[in-house]
Parts: sequence; structure tokens; C-alpha cells
Amino acid sequence: MGAFGHYLSGHFATFRLEFWSLFVGGVANGFLYGMIAVGYTLVYGVLRLINFAHSEIFMSGGFAGYFVMKALIGNSVPSGAATIFLIVLGIVVGGTAGALVATLLERVAYRPLRRRNAPKLAYLISAIGASYFLFNLAGKEFGRYSISMPQPYINHPVFHVFGAGVQLYYVVIFVAGVVMLFALDRVVATTKLGRSIRAVAQDAETASLMGVNIDRTIALTFIVGGALGGAAGFLFGLGTGVVYTMGFVPALKAFTAAVLGGIGNLRGAMIGGLLLGVVESLSVVFVQAAYIDVVAFGILVAVLLFRPTGILGERLGRAA
Amino acid sequence: MKLRLNKTVAAVASSALLLMVVPAVGIASTSGAASKPTYTIGYEGPLSGGNQQLGLNMVFAVQLAINQANASGKLPFKLTLRTYDDQGDPTISPTQAQAAVANKKLVAIVGPAFSGATAAAEPFYSAAHVATVSPSATRVSLATGGWHNFFRVVADDGVQGPADADYLVKKLKLNSVYVVDDGTSYGAGLAGAVAAQAKSDGATVSTATVPGTSQCQNGTASATEYSAAATQAVASGAKALFYGGYYCDLGLFLGALSSAGYTGTVMSGDGSLSPALIQGTTPASAANGTLLTCACATSTNKKFNSAYQALAHFSAANATYAPESYDAANAIINAMKHLKKVTRAGIVAELHKLAYKGMTKLVKFQSDGNIAGSAIFVNKVENGKIVQLGLE
Repeated sequence: MGAFGHYLSGHFATFRLEFWSLFVGGVANGFLYGMIAVGYTLVYGVLRLINFAHSEIFMSGGFAGYFVMKALIGNSVPSGAATIFLIVLGIVVGGTAGALVATLLERVAYRPLRRRNAPKLAYLISAIGASYFLFNLAGKEFGRYSISMPQPYINHPVFHVFGAGVQLYYVVIFVAGVVMLFALDRVVATTKLGRSIRAVAQDAETASLMGVNIDRTIALTFIVGGALGGAAGFLFGLGTGVVYTMGFVPALKAFTAAVLGGIGNLRGAMIGGLLLGVVESLSVVFVQAAYIDVVAFGILVAVLLFRPTGILGERLGRAA
Repeated sequence: MKLRLNKTVAAVASSALLLMVVPAVGIASTSGAASKPTYTIGYEGPLSGGNQQLGLNMVFAVQLAINQANASGKLPFKLTLRTYDDQGDPTISPTQAQAAVANKKLVAIVGPAFSGATAAAEPFYSAAHVATVSPSATRVSLATGGWHNFFRVVADDGVQGPADADYLVKKLKLNSVYVVDDGTSYGAGLAGAVAAQAKSDGATVSTATVPGTSQCQNGTASATEYSAAATQAVASGAKALFYGGYYCDLGLFLGALSSAGYTGTVMSGDGSLSPALIQGTTPASAANGTLLTCACATSTNKKFNSAYQALAHFSAANATYAPESYDAANAIINAMKHLKKVTRAGIVAELHKLAYKGMTKLVKFQSDGNIAGSAIFVNKVENGKIVQLGLE
């Protein structure tokens, strides 16, 4: 009994450590998904359109961050204040690049269609075309191979949760994610811009009669969503490097997360992202890593079967 | 072997043999009695099309071996090179093989380069008793095709996995191995072979499949899967991890393993042997210490490298299969030196007996034409550079 009990408790300790390690990694991925997912949900709110080129906004943020890190870090190993400065700078640069590409997309790929009252299908094709154009351009310009990003820190466990080390990289994602998602939530809920976004989402025609500038509101929505997507691209690239196809799967997962939480619903996108990240990471405890996507999309189908409008439901145009 | 000698030539040749002690000429007829006979060594491989570079890597090495042999002044004959471009294509290969066989001066072939092309060409070479020494055809079944003239100076596909497992378990004494594959036929095949051999070597083996990612254009999985996969690898407590797959995904995995605090040994096969592995690993230092194995050798011979550079106008350092091609050509030349009478069949027979210390390894063939002894090279990433440690 003694030996067996010892074996069991030893086994349990290993299991617990694995569980919490996976949980921490899952939360970090979840924040990234959430930051991308709000971009889908915001645009869907104002345009009733899935911006399938959002993956390339994410990718451009990754590359912009990479070039800045490469220029500033080189072979040095920053620490202390320099680390914080570089991370904040990377997020800002990534976010700016994302916002720029989003603006460009809106101007070139969507606004002309909106002017001509094009059918929704035209938007979809335009989005996919823009996406292919952008990632192939990136592949041509930056090379079609994965490039590692110079690190602004030496990654190490900062503290432990139930024995599982939480790395500095994850801490960066947690802090950045919480700050940005909270700020976004407040902007949409309380500011004038937020009110216009909600008004356009609820009823664009009426909103314009009430004096809301629709073009401007849509452009700003793309900028806000693009900034978060670009920042997420930098944070993602920090951990796994950058390559022209880096946006494809994370963006697809984030889109899933947005639908899971309820498309058009800001908090739904955040919760959907976190849930997806954690669940797919923890699924490894029970099945192999090869099944991660099977589990992730299985859950999506299951949730939508019972709640076709997502966990929190579509809540267009309301303070989230 | 079919000798097509007319009586006059035979008479001239035999009288020359008696009077001048010139080695008899079976295939080629010589004009002047005093001048050395000329023999042709052929090269069959891709010299145009998508795999042209691989063929160029090889053909310059063969040319170098021939030039050096001619310049040595010790040969009782003169050698020339004739190339047969099969584009690596099994449908073009038979035509090229028939052209080579019809060339009466041709005594042996370096190549064919590709396995499919080799399988298609061997019936013709075999019927004409033309020895083929391939620097690069690794398909296992080529050695069991019943072709007495088939040789290769490179280990076949079945050798690498077991050799890798033996290296980890027997040589490095790591008794627990976590074997990961990327779900491709190459990766899963290699990982399966490693797992089976490691088990039979007495190690504890656990396996996992972590499919290739879209980030690496090698599947549809997300790069985020690696943090979970790395956590599991650490939790397994294994002292060694073998990865069957390609460099790009391994780079992502190495970054995640380092983050997850994995401190054991990581090994991968030829699919990961690329400087792009280090470039694609975040942080790049996480690639350090990784062992990369390959049936291919990297030339560390300075004399060869500078001579190769002068001839080819590109570096031997990245010229895959150039060292093997050099050894293959020299093996043929050495077999010819041992022959009093150079004939196609004589070279085949001599190659079966040959033990020649080549640049990459001892060139000694098993009866089926496979290279004897260990022929897998192990490399290690040290300070961001891939360094060849030697044979496993």
C-alpha cells in the first residue's frame, strides 16, 4: 500500500505540474486569440463583414516588430528598463503597422465596394484577395522562411503557479493583453468614438441621420481593431518568430473564438479567445498534441449546436 | 561483357601488350601504341531542371577527382568525364543509361543521383556490366534489386533511424527517449525507426505526434501547439528527445522546449540539417546543443574545399553530396588501378573487393552494394553554427 500510495502521489504531482503548465500556456495563447478576435468582432459590428484579411494585419504587426527589434537589439542582451522600453516600443510599432494596413484595407478593398452597394459576397472575395496579395507580397519581400525575433530579454520563469513556472514571455502577454483589452472595453463603453461605433453597429442609417459620420467611424473601427491585431502579431512573433504565413492559423482560431463568444460581442470575443486557448492547451492532458485542432473545433461545433449565437450571444451595438 | 574486337585490333592490342607492356585495351582502341589509353567515367544525374544544383554539386566533385587522378601522373591510362543528364527523372533515366552503355569508352558510372532514376536505369547498366556507384540514391530496395553492378557510398534510408537510436541509448547512455514526429511520411517513418530501435536497446520510449504547422508550410496546425507539446515532453522526464521532421517546425519546437525548461538532449535527422534551423529558432540560443544526423557528410577537408571552390566557383561547404561524389569517383579510379586489364566487368568485380579510405568514410561495400560499417554522420549546433562531430 505504502509503495503504491507513494507511486500515486508521485504520479499526481507530475499530473498537477503538467496541468498547470498547460493552463498557463493556454491562458497566454488565449490572450493572443482574444486580441485578434476583437478585431473581427469590431469590424463585424459596423460592417456585418468578416475581415478575412485580418490575418495579414496580424502578420504585418509581427514583421514591423521584428524589424524594430532587429535594429535596436542586434546581438546585445537588454535587461531592466531597456527590456520594458523595447517591449512597449514593439507593441506600439506592431500596433501602428497593424492600424496602417487595416486602414489601407478599408480604403482599397472595402470602401469602394461600400460606395457601390456591392453584395456581401463581393466583400468576402475582396477580403480573401487582399489577404493573398498581402501575404504573398510579404513572402516575396521578406523571404519565405521562418525568422526568429531578437529577444528583448532572457526568457525565464518569473514566478510559479502550483509549481508551474510562469515565463517572462507569458507575463508580457498577460500584462499587455489585460491592459489593451480593458482599455478597448472602456473606449467602446464610454467614449464618443465608442458611442458612434455602437450606433453604427445598431443601425447605420439612423446613426448617420443622428449626425454620426459613418465613414469616419468605420475607418476608426478598422484602426482600433488593426492596432490590437498588429500588437498581437508582435507578441506572437516574440515567442515563435515571424514568417509570411504566420497569420493564417492564429487568425482562423481567433475568428473561431469570436464566433464562440458571440460575433459582434466584444467581451464575448475576449472570453471566447481565453476559453479556446485554455481548452486546446489542456486537451493535451487527455489526448495527444495532434488532436488540439480536433478538440478546438469540436468544441466550437458543440457550443454552436446549443447556443447558435455563441456563449454571450450576438450583442451588436450595445455597451459590451 | 561483350567485346566487339575485330581481329586487327586484337592483334595490334596483343602485340602491343607483348612488346610495350601497355595494359591491354578491351573496349577502347588506342591509336598510338606509346600513348596511354583513354577511359571515360560517366556521371548520371540531374543537370537541368529543378534539381540541377544537386547535380552540379556532384559533377564538379567527380571532375575534380578525375583531374587530380590525371595530374598525379601515376595512372597507366587517361580519364575523361562524360555527363548524362537525367533531370532526376525516372522516365528520362533509361534513355540516358542506354546512351551511356553504348559509349564504348565508358567503363563506369558515378550515379545515378536519384533513387527513382536509379531503379529505372539499373536494368540497362546491369546487362552491360557497367558499375554504378551512387553518391546519393538512398532507397532501401535498390540494394535488393539483384543488380550485381549497383554500389552506393551513402547509407540507405533504413540505416539512419536505428543508428540514431543506438547513438542516443548506447553511446550517450540516455535510457529514456521521447520520440516526436511531425506526421509526415518522412518524419513518422524516421521517428518510428528510432522508437523501435531505442526500445530494443532497452530504453524507455514514449511517442507523440505534433503535426507540422502552417507557419512552416508543412501542415495546418498552429504554432501555439508547441508550448503544450513541450510541457508534455518535460513532464515525461525523458533524458533525450528525438524529432522526426523538418528544420522549420523543429525550430519552433526548440524555442518552446527551452521556455518549458527542457534540459535533455535533442536529436533530429537530415530533414532538420540546415542553417535555417538556427535562423528560425527563437531565441536562437535554444538551438545550441541540438544533434543533427545525416547520411551525408559535410566536407571539412581544406584541400578538397579549396580545389572544389576553384573548379566549381561555389563553396563545397553547402554542396550536398559533393564529398560522396568525390569518394564514388575515387572508388572507381582505385578499382581501375588494381586491374591489369580495365574492363567494365573487371571494375564491378574489383569494387566488390575494394577497401579504399575515402574522404568521408572507408569505402567498402557489402555484397549487395551497400556501404559497409557506420555511415551516418552526427552534427551538433554549437554557438549558432552546425559542426560535424563525425560518424555515429
